[in-house]
Amino acid sequence: MKKINRRDFLVKSSAAAAAFAATPGVAYSQVVGGGGNFTDYRALVCVFLFGGNDSFNLLVPSSDAEYNVYAQARQNLAVAQADLLPITPAVPDVVDFGLHPSATGMQTLFQNGAAAFVANVGPLVEPTTKDEFFQGSVTLPPQLFSHNDQQDQWQSLRGNAPSSTGWAGRMADLIRTSVADQQMATNASLFGSNLFQSADETVAYVMGPGGPIQFEGFSLDPNNILFQQREAFRRVVDAQYDSIYERGFADVQKRAIDAAETVTAAIASAPQLNTVFPQSQLGTQLRTVARLIAVRDQLQMQRQIFFVAMGGFDSHDDQIQNQPGLLGGISDGIKAFYDATVELGISDSVTTFTQSDFGRTLTSNGDGTDHAWGGNQIVVGDAVFGQRMYGSYPLLQIDGPEDVGGGRIIPSTSADQFAATLAKWFGVDDADLGVVAPNINNFAARDLGFMV
Amino acid sequence: MRILRLISITVSFALTLAGCGGGGADAPPPGPPPPPPPPPVMKLEAYQFLNQSSFGATEADAQVVIDMGIEAWIDDQLTKPASLQLPHLQALPRPQFLFQLQPDRVDIWFRNVLHGEDQLRQRVAFALSEIMVVSQLGALTNTPYGLADYYDMLAENAFGNYRDLIEEVTLHPSMGVYLSMLGNEKPNPALNIRPDENYARELMQLFSIGLVALNNDGTQVLDAQNQPIPTYDQAIIEGFAHVYTGWTYAGSPSFQQARQTDSNQVIPMQLYPAFHDTGAKQVLNGEMIPAGQLGDQDLSDALDNVFNHPNVGPFIAIRLIQRLTTSNPSPGYVDRVASVFNNNGTGVRGDIGAVVKAILMDAEARPALHMEIDGKVKEPILRVTQLWRSYDAVSISGRYPLQAAYILFGQGPLQSPSVFNFFSPFHAPPGEIRNASLVAPELQIATEYLNTLFTNFMFFQCFALNQTNTDLQDDDIYIDFAEEMAIADDANALIDMVAEKLLAGQISDTLRTEIAGMLALIPLEDSAVRAAETIYFVVTSPEFAYQM
Repeated sequence: MKKINRRDFLVKSSAAAAAFAATPGVAYSQVVGGGGNFTDYRALVCVFLFGGNDSFNLLVPSSDAEYNVYAQARQNLAVAQADLLPITPAVPDVVDFGLHPSATGMQTLFQNGAAAFVANVGPLVEPTTKDEFFQGSVTLPPQLFSHNDQQDQWQSLRGNAPSSTGWAGRMADLIRTSVADQQMATNASLFGSNLFQSADETVAYVMGPGGPIQFEGFSLDPNNILFQQREAFRRVVDAQYDSIYERGFADVQKRAIDAAETVTAAIASAPQLNTVFPQSQLGTQLRTVARLIAVRDQLQMQRQIFFVAMGGFDSHDDQIQNQPGLLGGISDGIKAFYDATVELGISDSVTTFTQSDFGRTLTSNGDGTDHAWGGNQIVVGDAVFGQRMYGSYPLLQIDGPEDVGGGRIIPSTSADQFAATLAKWFGVDDADLGVVAPNINNFAARDLGFMV
Repeated sequence: MRILRLISITVSFALTLAGCGGGGADAPPPGPPPPPPPPPVMKLEAYQFLNQSSFGATEADAQVVIDMGIEAWIDDQLTKPASLQLPHLQALPRPQFLFQLQPDRVDIWFRNVLHGEDQLRQRVAFALSEIMVVSQLGALTNTPYGLADYYDMLAENAFGNYRDLIEEVTLHPSMGVYLSMLGNEKPNPALNIRPDENYARELMQLFSIGLVALNNDGTQVLDAQNQPIPTYDQAIIEGFAHVYTGWTYAGSPSFQQARQTDSNQVIPMQLYPAFHDTGAKQVLNGEMIPAGQLGDQDLSDALDNVFNHPNVGPFIAIRLIQRLTTSNPSPGYVDRVASVFNNNGTGVRGDIGAVVKAILMDAEARPALHMEIDGKVKEPILRVTQLWRSYDAVSISGRYPLQAAYILFGQGPLQSPSVFNFFSPFHAPPGEIRNASLVAPELQIATEYLNTLFTNFMFFQCFALNQTNTDLQDDDIYIDFAEEMAIADDANALIDMVAEKLLAGQISDTLRTEIAGMLALIPLEDSAVRAAETIYFVVTSPEFAYQM
């Protein structure tokens, strides 16, 4: 058949793909560690809360004046003041805060110094005030309040430019020569493919919530016919194919065969954990992450980024009924995972954090809330400078100074700052933080200070 | 690929013959030339077409297409009534908990797509169910009748008018629950309550116009700064959110006391005027819906406003082309299909049947010169149904209650994880596809994990769930390869037979060689293992995962 060249390929460019105009390659200014190896192990665990978590009901002002403003705004969706779980920051604020009554695990972690909150953080291109928002005098992230676009914002930090890579993917690319001996990809997802870990040079490994699964028809015993089957199967997927779709499919099969064998062999030697994880989607994933971290040495891992997730946060309906399960689910899952890292003696090298599409409207649509913007995020681990709150908690007032309508709160801290702080701890050079968080230079603080 | 070149040669040969037909010394004086007869359809072309237009090409169906011709087959399919789900569910005993009927809903979906004569209608309905998404996973777990009825509604409107379709989608209680228009009420400023924006947003973003202004060929309209132009803003979302107030389950004692019942989940929502906002509402294109109208008039005006937005044609064209024929249509292809959406030739806008026919009849659906970006990844569940249709898959009970489809394959009928479907129309996997600014939506669910699950499913399907197994459970879906077993001692004949059934005979040298190598290791008398081995290698291969 006629072989087409690259030029033809682009001429017949896709209308559907037009939204993904090619972006210039990222310039990797330097390799972290000067091309040498890291001397320690560090892992980031992203807990993505799909749907947009109503985190102003997770971390709530409990002082009377501020609580009353909150209650006036939230009306029938407000958490009762008496039900809030008290927390006592190491550095007392003029305002007291409490946690949603389901978040007992988070309360314990915070009080023990292992957890911090970053208040009112969200995607921004540059610092933005309410006046600037309405005057159109600042650049805004595109398609605010839209699920997939704001998920993409959090995961890619693309600002107002299209991006096909995520900030975890770019971190993995930056350090790739320093971790060349790793037996598994730096990025691993237990919740499907995602933009967060997508990269130009490295490929994330997607496993199941319980870890990798084996190909049933394959054996590594050369005396078994299933060994021959594996070899034959492998040659089929290694063959040259004419179509980009065949090649794309075959590439996944190749990676699946290789990674499943390596990782499964390692994870089989993982110690039995005494920590009890909740029987939940998130609990299962975090338990698997703990098991993978337990076998980091067998896999020669030095830097890992895990993506786990939980859905159901798009609480347009029945928020009062559903929020205890949602917020309790985060709290119980993250608490168990932290406990497991303590059990493994690695809690100072593993940092867990949340991201979510957006915060939700302070106003109600009757029995739920709609898509908004800023929200509160959680950071957990013994490398976290915990029992503290970072950023600036907004006044939760309808039509207040940070509300752009209906209780959609403008973030006072950018997701770029949040990510850059984690990236720096992970081992990204300061000079490369702009690769991870492209708009970081638009903000005064490159480091929010929540990592030791 | 080799045969594709053969097609193009054959087509040009046939055209040459047609062009020369009747040429001779004593030819009659030239009149208006008769239209050239359509070129004969070859088996591989029939397979390509049927994989675009049905739940998997089979030799029997290919013969029908070869006999009828492609256009006549489409025209015939456009007249086939829908195979329905709801009557099946309603004929079953009502279980104590309605979620227990979900396996039966999946069962009737498989029965219809495997055996229904309305293959094209079912295929388009499936495509629509991936665009106007509702899902069993979530608030509709206990709503199997509603989900079945929603799917039936998609099937019945699959060749109808898009304007009717979006109205039926909007008023269906399954959508009402899923995107929370059901129970949405007018503002109550004293309580900081304002209308729910969920449906308002997703109808525009996902079902009709998308986020940015499009040219008729699907490319983005750019402003003076070379930036895309948003199709709507928050004020417009709020305008539509106010439109969609006052609707809940039909026949409820009151708006506030509306509760789901077995019967009201399958009839359109009803307006309760006291809960509808009667103010003026901002909609698209700078238009306003005037104050003081009744809720059904507001709805009608709002849906007209969406329907007449110039984005709908290219938006729906791209979505349906991607589901049926190719991931990366050229702007020309989109333009041709969108133009049919805009006007079906008799002045009607929104004729989905005409759009489907235009998609399937377009030269780009069967290009004479096949390029490496033509076609798409075959959706995993379509790989399964193609195998099942070719190998008469059935269970002892006659049922196909494969409720775990969404776990095993990453997709299942009305089993999306969210309104954003199993995969995004914009998904671009890393590597050459992304680097060329192309997309491959189905590869979003071809992760290492899901591909392994799928490969293992096929392993069990071929080696265990077949007609030779004497320990099958009543609901085990098994394939029948008795024909293969009869000739299984002849490796070449065996490979040929499977390749003919599943690939129209178009098997790569590598795949043939590797299967032959495996068959050489399997004793001749193990005919079932030899048949299973051959089918397993074909259905897990990259070439079977490719819809050319």
